[in-house]
Amino acid sequence: MSTDTTLSAAAAQPAAKPRSRRMSTSTILLIVAGALVGLSLVHQLANAPDVTSSGAIQAALQAAVPLGLAGLGGLWAERAGVVNIGLEGQMILGTWFGAWGSLEFGPWIGLLIGILGGAVGGLVHAVATVTFGVDHIISGVAMTILAPGVVRYLSYITWGSAGATQSPQVVDQVPRLSVPGVNSLKGLEEHQWFLISDIAGVLRGLLHEVSLVTILAVLLIPLTAWVLWKTAFGLRVRSVGEDPQAAESLGLNVYRYKYYGVVISGAMAGLGGVYLSTVTSAIYREGQTGGRGYIGLAAMIFGNWRPGGLAVGASLFGYTDALQLRRGSESVHALLILVGALLLALAVWEFIRRNRVVAISSAVLGVLSYVLFFSVDKIPTALVQAAPYITVLVVLALAAQRLRPPAADGKPYRRGG
Amino acid sequence: MTADPPAVELKGITKRFPGVVANSDVNLTVRKGTIHAIVGENGAGKSTLMKILYGMQPPDEGEILIEGNPVKFSSPQGAIGAGIGMVHQHFMLADNFTVTENVVLGAEKLHGIGTQAKAKITEISQRYGLGVEPDTLVEDLGVGDRQRVEILKVLYRGARILILDEPTAVLVPQEVDELFGNLRELIREGLTVLFISHKLDEVRGVADDITVIRRGTTVASVKPDQVTARQLATLMVGSELPSPEARESTVTDVPVLVVRGLTVRGPDGRPIVDDATFTIHKGEVVGIAGVEGNGQAELAEAIIGMRDSAGTVELDGVAIAGWDTRRRREAGLGYIPEDRHRQGLLLDAPLWENRILGHQTEPPNAKGFLINVGGARRDTTRIVAEYDVRTPSIDVAAVALSGGNQQKLIVGREMSHQPKVLIAAHPTRGVDVGAQAAIWDHIRNARIAGMGVLLISADLDELIGLSDALKVIYGGRLVADADPSTVTPEQLGVAMTGATGEETPS
Ligand SMILES: Nc1ncnc2c1ncn2[C@@H]1O[C@H](COP(=O)(O)OP(=O)(O)OP(=O)(O)O)[C@@H](O)[C@H]1O
Ligand SMILES: [Mg+2]
Repeated sequence: MSTDTTLSAAAAQPAAKPRSRRMSTSTILLIVAGALVGLSLVHQLANAPDVTSSGAIQAALQAAVPLGLAGLGGLWAERAGVVNIGLEGQMILGTWFGAWGSLEFGPWIGLLIGILGGAVGGLVHAVATVTFGVDHIISGVAMTILAPGVVRYLSYITWGSAGATQSPQVVDQVPRLSVPGVNSLKGLEEHQWFLISDIAGVLRGLLHEVSLVTILAVLLIPLTAWVLWKTAFGLRVRSVGEDPQAAESLGLNVYRYKYYGVVISGAMAGLGGVYLSTVTSAIYREGQTGGRGYIGLAAMIFGNWRPGGLAVGASLFGYTDALQLRRGSESVHALLILVGALLLALAVWEFIRRNRVVAISSAVLGVLSYVLFFSVDKIPTALVQAAPYITVLVVLALAAQRLRPPAADGKPYRRGG
Repeated sequence: MTADPPAVELKGITKRFPGVVANSDVNLTVRKGTIHAIVGENGAGKSTLMKILYGMQPPDEGEILIEGNPVKFSSPQGAIGAGIGMVHQHFMLADNFTVTENVVLGAEKLHGIGTQAKAKITEISQRYGLGVEPDTLVEDLGVGDRQRVEILKVLYRGARILILDEPTAVLVPQEVDELFGNLRELIREGLTVLFISHKLDEVRGVADDITVIRRGTTVASVKPDQVTARQLATLMVGSELPSPEARESTVTDVPVLVVRGLTVRGPDGRPIVDDATFTIHKGEVVGIAGVEGNGQAELAEAIIGMRDSAGTVELDGVAIAGWDTRRRREAGLGYIPEDRHRQGLLLDAPLWENRILGHQTEPPNAKGFLINVGGARRDTTRIVAEYDVRTPSIDVAAVALSGGNQQKLIVGREMSHQPKVLIAAHPTRGVDVGAQAAIWDHIRNARIAGMGVLLISADLDELIGLSDALKVIYGGRLVADADPSTVTPEQLGVAMTGATGEETPS
């Protein structure tokens, strides 16, 4: 090149973007093993058998399932770009229709009717948000306000004024299964041996007397992952949540796939409702859902809009929820050891990654956990009851940094826009 | 003439929107196996015509013939079925999807969504030299690559007729050459290409036929070797273009924007803008040249205060690092954002509300802490007239304006507040030649009055023509300086791709 070149140059390096987005199976197994060891340590250090007792684990599983189903509901809707905070309402429809169906036609038909009830709730939300362009939040809130009124009215006309707030007892439930031989782990569990008793407790909790509905619900997690990420149908549903204009330009009927997503969402929430009224308990009661629709949504956000993550979130919340019923004051107190350690580890990790705000907040929270642990022997009941919600808040606050919702989530869409 | 029917024939197409006739009685004939360019000023109706051909909007009147057969499309699905594919003015790709997912969407029946589809994508990519990897996430791709993914998307569906709406607006010269290389490859395979562009030299270089549209109708069909760019421009606007005036330097030695050690980090902690240091003087235009995605957008956003950054920024002697965007704007920073749909406009709000945007605390938009609707509306009318924004009224939503007219509105708004420093990212993107000259004039006049400008542009002629000093950004760092009075677009283009080896002076 000639001397009149006017460019002066310094060295430059290109920007490479290495990324790994998913955890490998071995990492997941490692985390599970780590959690088990951690809990065993807590068990021994603080003498808190309930952190891994089969009773607690079983209760945790039962508490996690409705949350996970609500989370799946949220996932289906938001993957299609519709925010569904009407999940709570659709769950309520599920509780009522599930109980009513079970009383009238037996457990299996009842299950179907409950799911349908939720799906109809989803359909209403879809009509409002997709066809009429109503704000997603407004429609969702309306759904949550409307549903209790509808079921109160239905209760009144089906069960009379005595049954306005609760149904008769549901006698006939979906059968429960046990893995043969698992019950004999009971002996091992009672020995309180380090790790061995804990594993026995967890296994027995997960494999003994499990309702078929629970198994179905757990299977829905991988099924959802497979449908959404491995089938053409799922790709289309996700595409209308990521970039509806692009989907439209490829000839897709965007409205239709949004409808599918939201109706399936309602059906999932409905199943969560049926679970509450016919599996966890055997009766429909007013207010039975107790905000689980919202916690399910939080579990989904925690899981970064992915089925696997959502399942972890739901288990976490289910576990804290279950613990409060089993000598909650002591168990939650004991758990502070683990929580504190995790928070401090997170603080170090985030500090290395230069995320100062998160690092400092988790360090502060970690230290606070230990302060609390050493200053009292029992956590006050009020705080124990709040534990699941505090967990939601803390986890969401710390996780929010890395979340990746669908790009067009909650945005209104008009054809030809 | 050959016996072959034309690939596309449009007869008497008319399309009305409330208050505007976007197309009136358009006639267009596209020969098979050719590249056919469509040119025309902003709002002439080019995009609308292409959307009609692609089935996205139904025509009010007229007839479409594909290879001699009359067709009627009610959705793109129909057009795709007839072998038509379209690459839009604004990219239609989901960022969070892989290339494969974006390509197979809506055409899953062809080869599934798994291995077979990926093999097909790789095959097409190799056959036409597109260099597209099926497993990359689209958000990791630069504009040039995205463009090729868009083309691949169309080819995957077996399209024989390709529509490209302003495909070169965001590309640097090398990428443009590559694109045209790809297009020629397609023509050799017997495909037909229709494309829209405002860059007239480029059009003359690559097209076999040119159709000029003015105010919604076809006014001329010409062969590229029979017209000059100036004649084309005259055909487009219907009158003579003002000749570019000679310009003398207005650079003073009073610094107005001093940036030192500005660093912006991404979510993973790596620097996106790395230690940028430069000074803009009163009356000076500093141009930043770079391939998109090398940190220029983040640099602009950091200076206007939309992104957290380390380092110092001084505006007219006042340290403004740490201020929020509103304060910076009130202090005299103007901002023309690079993506007018993501920033800069509320698409569903009327023009006069968009006039207020970003200047909601300043007159004529505000009286005390109240919004002054009357003042804002009057001033919108003034901008519409002064910047030649083609619109039926100031009450229509911004979305109803053509791309170029949206841009003119933004430029008018930002210039109306006499900024001390204007941060202009692609100020003439998607703007026709006439309006481009007008925007340049506005910037030059403000510069004479002492405004400093940070100019980011992919249009190297614009960069070289308007700037008093040039800097090359690459991988987030300002890697080179260039003198706009001597550097050529080719040299600049080479430096932008990070190739700095052969620059050693003898
Ligand atoms: N959806 C719409 N609603 C109302 N008017 C519209 C709509 N789309 C386009 N128009 C109007 O139709 C006319 C032609 O617009 P079009 O987008 O086709 O212009 P263009 O030639 O592509 O311009 P540019 O070069 O700026 O992209 C413009 O006056 C525009 O305001
Ligand atoms: Mg256009």
